[in-house]
Amino acid sequence: MSGRLSTKAGEATPSQGRGSGHKRQREPGLTQIRRAACLSRRLFIILWSRTQATEQQHPSSSVPPDTFLPASYAGQLFQPASNSGYYLHSSSDDSFDEEPPLLEELGINFDHIWQKTLTVLNPMKPADGSIMNETDLTGPILFCVALGATMLMAGKAQFGYVYGMSAIGCLVIHTLLNLMSSAGVSYGCVASVLGYCLLPMVILSSCAIFFSLQGTLGTVTALLIITWCSLSASKIFISALAMEGQQLLVAYPCALFYGLFALLTVF
Amino acid sequence: MAYHSGYGAHGSKHRTRAAPDSPPLFDDTSGGYSSHPGGYPAPGADVAFSVNHLLGDPVANMAMAYGSSIASQGKDIVHKELHRFVSVNKLKYFFAVDTAYVAKKLGLLVFPYTHQNWKMQYSHDVPLPPRKDLNAPDLYIPTMAFITYVLLAGTALGIQKRFSPEVLGLCASTALVWVFMEVLALLLGLYLATVRSELSTFHLLAYSGYKYVGMILSVITGLLFGSDGYYVALAWTSSALMYFIVRSLRTAALGPDSMGGPAPGQRLQLYLTLGAAAFQPLIIYWLTFHLVR
Repeated sequence: MSGRLSTKAGEATPSQGRGSGHKRQREPGLTQIRRAACLSRRLFIILWSRTQATEQQHPSSSVPPDTFLPASYAGQLFQPASNSGYYLHSSSDDSFDEEPPLLEELGINFDHIWQKTLTVLNPMKPADGSIMNETDLTGPILFCVALGATMLMAGKAQFGYVYGMSAIGCLVIHTLLNLMSSAGVSYGCVASVLGYCLLPMVILSSCAIFFSLQGTLGTVTALLIITWCSLSASKIFISALAMEGQQLLVAYPCALFYGLFALLTVF
Repeated sequence: MAYHSGYGAHGSKHRTRAAPDSPPLFDDTSGGYSSHPGGYPAPGADVAFSVNHLLGDPVANMAMAYGSSIASQGKDIVHKELHRFVSVNKLKYFFAVDTAYVAKKLGLLVFPYTHQNWKMQYSHDVPLPPRKDLNAPDLYIPTMAFITYVLLAGTALGIQKRFSPEVLGLCASTALVWVFMEVLALLLGLYLATVRSELSTFHLLAYSGYKYVGMILSVITGLLFGSDGYYVALAWTSSALMYFIVRSLRTAALGPDSMGGPAPGQRLQLYLTLGAAAFQPLIIYWLTFHLVR
């Protein structure tokens, strides 16, 4: 009776197997799980990569990215540095082991992020305009999270305000720059530049953990940091947009934007 | 599995034909698909076929394509609606400023008494942009002054230990509402007076935004020198602003061909200008006195 039960279970339900049919029934379940994980991972990768459209053409990616998207999408989808034959594999199970590493697929390149950060940290060095051709939002989001975390350590849980103000501020500066300059900028470029220049504000907010900034010294430090941030940001904008005679005019809105963050940090 | 293979073959056949029809599950994606039939080159078709097969679930594929086409359609709709209400070229005129203009205009707002020529300059009946004409109104200074006022209000409240991020939003929305009400009142007044004037909504917005410069100066003086400094700065900036507005609006409303003489429409407009000027000190006091205690 148990033998008949086991064979019936083997035919009908794959999850309840016993005896000889046990191993065979576990395999299709595992394959389905792997397939589901594969699919969800790919969906996540594709959805994440859409937020990081680049304007440079990478010669190493040979797969035309618009074969499975409508061609009205103008940005480049991936920047995988290798694995040009990635999509020509035929079976979905084997390619799980041969896929490129996750960071490479997502387009997060820590070396690039570090180089851009170094450029931002030195406001006196002249910047080249090509640095902001790749609209990379990973660094900015990292800095926003770092700002929120340092504020949290100082006792203020204001993540929502940080994100909200950065989104609205980026929108306002994007509108302003498009109205003031003859060449337009995209929103991703503005968000990327402003986010990278937020790093000195993280330094200010980590100072606020150790001593209160509500005094003359705190005010002077905050003003210095705001000037530092806005000089870097306006320097990059000026070189990217070729606006002559308007650096102070571009620096002032950036100073107001960073002043908002300084307000949150100090008070 | 039969569903998958059948659907996959169906989808790949569509791609090789390079004229994709709407897939059976999502009827609306035909707009995004059929507009660019050339987006599926022949060698890419094999890749697409294997990609389709690789992803294993073409429903996700279709969902992605649907989402992206909807997003691009949404963006186009937003742009179209925005362009219907706001002419971007006219708006760009108000932002064509440079640093020298901004510096001189700020000086004019604080001390307008020695300025001689208030007429706006025109070239072929088109007003010159602010870069070239000091008397032309701009929207850069009012916008920056407004945001600076909000920040200063936050700082002042922070010094009084009354700061929280919600207060910033409160200050900003209050000031914005007052600006809109003033612009609407001026528009209503101009409409009722049936005056043919060159003043568009953006001009009125610019002129009513110049008071924020005075507000900022009053608040800074009040923070640095206490309550007495605040009242002195308030008196000075109010009178300067009143003089500035009266002189500017009188000549700005005339247009390229100035009809001299007090026609009745002109008198009504003069009263309107004087009323607007008299309103400025009141609103400056109302929006700043609670910051300087």
